[in-house]
Amino acid sequence: MARLNEDAQWIVLMGFIVSFSLFFLAIVLNQSVVVGQTTAEAVSEFPKDDIRGVRDVVIQSVFMDALNKTAVQREIQTIALTRQGSVMSFSNTTDGIHTFLDFHYNNGVTAYNETWIYP
Amino acid sequence: MVDSDGQLFTIEGIAASLILLLTAYIVVNGTSVYTPGDTHISNTQLEVTGSDALAMMNTAPDGLTTKTPLQTFVEQGDSAGFSSMFLNIINNRTGSKPDGIQFLANVTYVRNDNTINSTFLSNSSRSLYGGEHAVHVSQWIIVEKRIPEDALVRKRAELVEVTLWRD
Repeated sequence: MARLNEDAQWIVLMGFIVSFSLFFLAIVLNQSVVVGQTTAEAVSEFPKDDIRGVRDVVIQSVFMDALNKTAVQREIQTIALTRQGSVMSFSNTTDGIHTFLDFHYNNGVTAYNETWIYP
Repeated sequence: MVDSDGQLFTIEGIAASLILLLTAYIVVNGTSVYTPGDTHISNTQLEVTGSDALAMMNTAPDGLTTKTPLQTFVEQGDSAGFSSMFLNIINNRTGSKPDGIQFLANVTYVRNDNTINSTFLSNSSRSLYGGEHAVHVSQWIIVEKRIPEDALVRKRAELVEVTLWRD
């Protein structure tokens, strides 16, 4: 080894350092683009409007008379399943003062559960 | 003994790498290529416009007691009324020239045997031929009416489904 020329070792070392830092920065840049996109997609694909809409009609159905209520709730479950691909389950109880509505929504990707209390 | 003859080369290397990095940064930030996978961005905007319009139409003028315009249109099967109000909401924009969004609206209801059916509610002047890149929005409503398969007038949960596309 003693006869090898070692003049350029610093250049080689710096070359390594520079290339690694370049590589690292490229990864950071790359990830920042992907992170922004996946976050935006996750937000826009959350079925906000579906949940709000079905929650709204379920709450309306709680205050109907018995005949209408049974029929309307069956219709809500059927339409949610066939047209929006979501499974709905809900039931309401009362303690004499408050009405408690247990509300479960699942479309295979997003699950939403809520207990709605009135008043 | 460390030989430091190559220091200038090192500095030059760092400078060159910074220039490269800056160039790459400017290029990546300065251009965006619109690929077929990105169409969901404009689709999402159209969906938001459509569901906002339906939500507005499903709001009673005084908040609670009276029926919403959407309920009235569905109960009476008022195709012209729905069309005029919906087009007015989605196509109005700042300035004199309206937007060119077209739509086709159906109402989905449940028959007594628990199967579902969709009937025509309204549409705009253009028909849907199948080549359009349409999006789908919907709005739940409770209406008090009869359906073709059942003469009884009672409350029913129905889904107004609208297909929207830009002409």
